[in-house]
Amino acid sequence: MQKKQEAADNFELWARLVQDIAETRGSNAKVELCANYFALLAPSEVSLACQFMGEGAFSNISGKRASVGARTIGVAAADYCGIDYDIVFKACRTASGSSTETIQRLFENLPEARQKNTLQHWNLARISELAEELAQTCGRKDKQRILTRIWGGLSPLATKYFLRLLSQGSLRIGFESRSVLQALARSSQVDYEQLRYAHMLTGSLAKTAVLACTNRLDQAQFKLFNPIAFMLAAPLHSKSVDHWQDFIAEEKFDGMRCQLHAHGPKVELFSRDLNAITNQFPELVELFGGKKFPPTVIDGEICIFRDQTIQPFQELQKRMGVKKPSKELMSKYPVVFIGYDLLYLDQKETVSQSLTQRRINLQKLAKIFQFPISKQHSIDSKDQVDQLFEQALAHGNEGLMLKEKNAPYSFGERKNHWLKVKRPSGSIDTVILYAQAGSGKRGGSYSDFTLGVSVKEDPRYEEEFIPIGKAYGGYTDQEWKDLNKAIKGCIIDRFGPTAQLRPEIVVELEFEAIQPNSRTKAKYTLRFPRFKAIRWDLSPKDVDSLEHVELLFKEHQSKERSPQKSSRSFLYPK
Amino acid sequence: MLKVKKARYHGIKLPELSIGLDYSDADVQHIFVSHAHADHIPRNRKFLRGHTSLAIYATPATAALMRLRGFKEDIVELPFFETLTTDLFTMTLYPAGHILGSAMAFIESGVGNILYTGDCKTPASPATEGFELPKVRQVDQLIIEATFGMPIYRWKSNEELQSDLVSFARKALDECYTPIFLGYNLGKAQEMMHMLRELPETKQIHGAGYPLCAVYEEYGIDLGAYERYNRTSSEGCLLFTPNSSLESGFASHIKKKKIAYCSGWASHEARRTQTQAHSLIPLSDHLDYFELINLCEYLQPKRIYITHTPDSKVVLHDLQQRGHDAVYLGMMYEELE
Repeated sequence: MQKKQEAADNFELWARLVQDIAETRGSNAKVELCANYFALLAPSEVSLACQFMGEGAFSNISGKRASVGARTIGVAAADYCGIDYDIVFKACRTASGSSTETIQRLFENLPEARQKNTLQHWNLARISELAEELAQTCGRKDKQRILTRIWGGLSPLATKYFLRLLSQGSLRIGFESRSVLQALARSSQVDYEQLRYAHMLTGSLAKTAVLACTNRLDQAQFKLFNPIAFMLAAPLHSKSVDHWQDFIAEEKFDGMRCQLHAHGPKVELFSRDLNAITNQFPELVELFGGKKFPPTVIDGEICIFRDQTIQPFQELQKRMGVKKPSKELMSKYPVVFIGYDLLYLDQKETVSQSLTQRRINLQKLAKIFQFPISKQHSIDSKDQVDQLFEQALAHGNEGLMLKEKNAPYSFGERKNHWLKVKRPSGSIDTVILYAQAGSGKRGGSYSDFTLGVSVKEDPRYEEEFIPIGKAYGGYTDQEWKDLNKAIKGCIIDRFGPTAQLRPEIVVELEFEAIQPNSRTKAKYTLRFPRFKAIRWDLSPKDVDSLEHVELLFKEHQSKERSPQKSSRSFLYPK
Repeated sequence: MLKVKKARYHGIKLPELSIGLDYSDADVQHIFVSHAHADHIPRNRKFLRGHTSLAIYATPATAALMRLRGFKEDIVELPFFETLTTDLFTMTLYPAGHILGSAMAFIESGVGNILYTGDCKTPASPATEGFELPKVRQVDQLIIEATFGMPIYRWKSNEELQSDLVSFARKALDECYTPIFLGYNLGKAQEMMHMLRELPETKQIHGAGYPLCAVYEEYGIDLGAYERYNRTSSEGCLLFTPNSSLESGFASHIKKKKIAYCSGWASHEARRTQTQAHSLIPLSDHLDYFELINLCEYLQPKRIYITHTPDSKVVLHDLQQRGHDAVYLGMMYEELE
């Protein structure tokens, strides 16, 4: 028995390691713990251990899901320990902010659950099989039966993490796939960048681990028509730039990010989340397919372009998600693909080249094949950046991108090589109507807020305030604590985790854009709403009206956008 | 049975006997203060002033702590186990095990008796006078707090918790880190100091908690060698402070420190990131769920009133299933511990 317990690939050991990582502060110390653990395992075991840590019960590329809902699990768990689901389980979940942590505690504490438990010392492979069995089984009752059997063989701690594996999400231990790779690089003594690259290409931690452990990382090869993770931009802070001369500026287009893969007549388009969106933009496929490119990958942006002017993002939304759009839709909302980076050309990846080098090749390519690319500006001062920023806004774009000339294309990373300069579209004064208990990091206290605008004098409504949006962030930890204190005094009613409040607390809400949305009471929703400030100085009388929101929307819609004539955001190289 | 009323933010009232329990209004003749935590001390001092017919009762230890925390009205000191007799009722105080001086009030009248627990803990916190129930055949009405009234809460034994505290401190000190214990200034801090009394390192306690320690010593609780927190000499000591003080610069000069958050709420993983603590030690001065249910089962009162609870349905459901007449005395629970 004792010996079995000590086997390195025991799932209980894995779970304890995960808990240790959760309890350790500092990413370096976490990585070290994990690397020491990997070093105890055989390659096939490392592979599963990595997958469990960074992806879930199934490999991301398998497309598999355990497909067990939170309710299925909750009801089975309540049943397992002999408590009422609606009255007891749900209340406990609200208090702890985590369903899986609730289950762990209940299983630890309640005699009825403890009696059903006999540790089975399953290894990682066996856990993978059990998850597979769950995925293969249909029907809530049958899934619950399997869950119950699994729980009977796991410690409450292992149960918690097993359930988190099933959701194919984060383990919530401050240890994401990046850290898993760092640990793997350390334990198998390979270069981290090489490992990261192999991971991007294989799309699987498990596969990457096997390659790393057997010294075959070079076997991971890029394949055209498989997307490369996008390089992301960090917001510009006062400290993020030492020398403006090291950067170039481009306008940040009011469109959607897109990666274009082309070879001969074949073209594929990938969205920001790496999904194929080829069939949504047949005119781009026709245009680029007709140019007969050599094997090429271009990073760029899709925008609506009409009357020589980049049109608002809201218009592009009419095209997003529409597969095989009608001729009418395409002519009403014509799109353009603007390239700004080159990732692959003629059997050669170019991601490790400097931006300057990539740009030279992109320009050459654009000249030969006649497609538009972003206009680049060299910069040497803050004033110049400000000036270009205003010009970008005048074009109807979101702001500016600053890109470091010497930096490679750091796929999948948000570092200070690319910086975005944006001005939020606006802010309104709103009042908190509902507060909802958060989960995860902010579990056990109110962290999600429904905010309302005034309709007191609006003949269309009978209420005083109606919801305009929900915000989860933007407040500091201190503000969040103050809010929680203030909320206690204004609770009128509770519905499970949600508390209805007397409208008293005024919040200045910042957002990116206002969008019409006929399904909501206000008929408008906000894009990326977040707290700008809690206005303790204001009273509900000062809250902005729905009419004010409508006005803001109309102003934005009708704002003059300067056409691409004398000054341009993109061009066709000659 | 006696009428029991929840008076919005003013505590609980027994109108027939003109008694307020942890009460903040002057429309009664007798106010019982169960212990010296701020949320139990009468707040509405303006109302209290000039009401000569109003008497405020507390144990001598609670009275001493209240005065140190700025309470200026007269307090009638009523030691444990001594009975106060009035025309309408008698009242005897029993140790509640929550913090030093914390008491339960047992009130007997012509229409039956009532036991009000205030905040309580059994087994008692080691830095208290213990926990003891009135020796009566039948408690008619029980008013009990259920701050942790959910089965996700089950505490370790005092011995295990003490060993967790000691090994956290020892490990930190051995690795040249300064251990910081986050906990409430009154009660939790002294309880931890008492549990850690045998460590040779000096204990330094936040200025607001420091003067309260003398009362503990006066009542025979050994806190080991301690002094007021002093920025210049705090490195390498055991530090005790409420978590809010970390944001206002407490120990900000100490680079190598390990922080333990010590509270019943530490049983929530989310508190790890919320408090920035290295270690969560669920050390509570309240009953856990199972202790609460056991106490009710032991007393078998005719009626149970639940106060201070995150979701009253949970405890009520369980008690009702066990055949008790249990109701909720609406009151917002607070996180203060």
